[in-house]
Amino acid sequence: MESAIQQSCLNCTLRPDRLFCDLPSSVLQALDTMKQTLSCPRNTILFREGQAARGVFILCEGRAKLSVCSESGKRLILRIAVPGEVLGLSATLTGTAHEVTAELLDNARVVLVKRKDLLRFLREHREACLHVVTLLSQNLHVAYDRVRSVGLGRARRSRPAHA
Amino acid sequence: MYLCYQSQRSVSVRTDTGIVTSVTRAWPKLQIVAGAPQPESRDLLQIRTGPCPKGGVVLSPYGLDIVESCLTCKMRSERIFCDLPTAALESFEAIKYATAYPKGAVLFVEGQAPRGIFVLCKGRVKLSICATDGKTLILKIAEPGEVLGLSATVSGKPYELTAETIDPCQVNFVKREDFLRFLREHSDACFKVAEQLSEKYNNACHEVRSLGLSHSAGEKLAKLLLEWSSRNGEAAKQEPRLKLALTHEEIAQMIGTSRETVTRLFADLKKRQIIQAKGSTLVVRNKVALKTMATNG
Repeated sequence: MESAIQQSCLNCTLRPDRLFCDLPSSVLQALDTMKQTLSCPRNTILFREGQAARGVFILCEGRAKLSVCSESGKRLILRIAVPGEVLGLSATLTGTAHEVTAELLDNARVVLVKRKDLLRFLREHREACLHVVTLLSQNLHVAYDRVRSVGLGRARRSRPAHA
Repeated sequence: MYLCYQSQRSVSVRTDTGIVTSVTRAWPKLQIVAGAPQPESRDLLQIRTGPCPKGGVVLSPYGLDIVESCLTCKMRSERIFCDLPTAALESFEAIKYATAYPKGAVLFVEGQAPRGIFVLCKGRVKLSICATDGKTLILKIAEPGEVLGLSATVSGKPYELTAETIDPCQVNFVKREDFLRFLREHSDACFKVAEQLSEKYNNACHEVRSLGLSHSAGEKLAKLLLEWSSRNGEAAKQEPRLKLALTHEEIAQMIGTSRETVTRLFADLKKRQIIQAKGSTLVVRNKVALKTMATNG
């Protein structure tokens, strides 16, 4: 069962190490007012593929498995998300159904921000929007790597070193 | 009409009967190649229109009508990234380079350090990834309005894909440093970039599912044809039509199989009267059978 717990992002000691969370105090205060902190046991499904996106889940503690599934039930793991990641971001921003299923691998602490609140928050706070753009770019790189390994069955081609 | 463009690397001189010859621009000096008609003026700094000179000459890059300013672009409201407030658009105007490319031009290559973003204004671009043995997988055919090279430009990591034009294209290029500054200064643009990246991520997940979980090449081809036939208002039709803009080789690269398999599958679909080819147009005669094939392989 999910249970709500209170904790302010302003007091989080891990904040500087996490891409999305490393925001100015004023922005974090705004995030604090709209977020909901949940404690979830392992195997909890945060969202399912095909489900309408209701918001994002910021993974504070614990890991989550992101997977896709075929009509016949065959499952393919896309990647393992680690603390600090924001799950369900792309579907929440586009307002479409989730493309993946997110299932917790550990007992975890997650922060839920509802879609409407997130969209307003991003429009009002440019720093947060820039962090989201960077996060999405990183996610996209990982996804393309997965496409490459699944579609071409090989590791990424070697790249020239650059400064 | 007689048009001079300033921002392309090369232009074509065209008459009513077709392209006569090409003109290479080496700014600031214009070099006329192979006896092309002399332009009215050597100063190509402005778009100039007027009565057609004797002989019906039109100067136009690769037959494209270049939209020089985003502020006057009529397509702007229909495109996610471009539909920006006037202030942001004016800033964008100052940092963009409007360029024209012929068919087959490579905008950027997988593994290359990111130089900047390419906003596709006109034409289509093939986005692909490549294995060390040369095997290619086409991820997507980008349509006008898309921003290419976005994730690499934002993250500073090498381009993940290769982008090659499959039509003559107009592309607005923005240097990386300029683009990052633009995003920091304009939150509306930043939000739109987040939306574009989200769409690309959704598309990549869809691709992983299709490649990793489909059982057969037949299933993947059926899914691709159904996806294409659902565009341009054809989805609701009993017998939807689609324009086959890619070769069998390219379709094979989209679904991760060989050209021979694609040709064999098309022959089989035609024989079973599931599809019918009329030139480059394909008519789906039996949508139910195609859907069954997409689900069961």
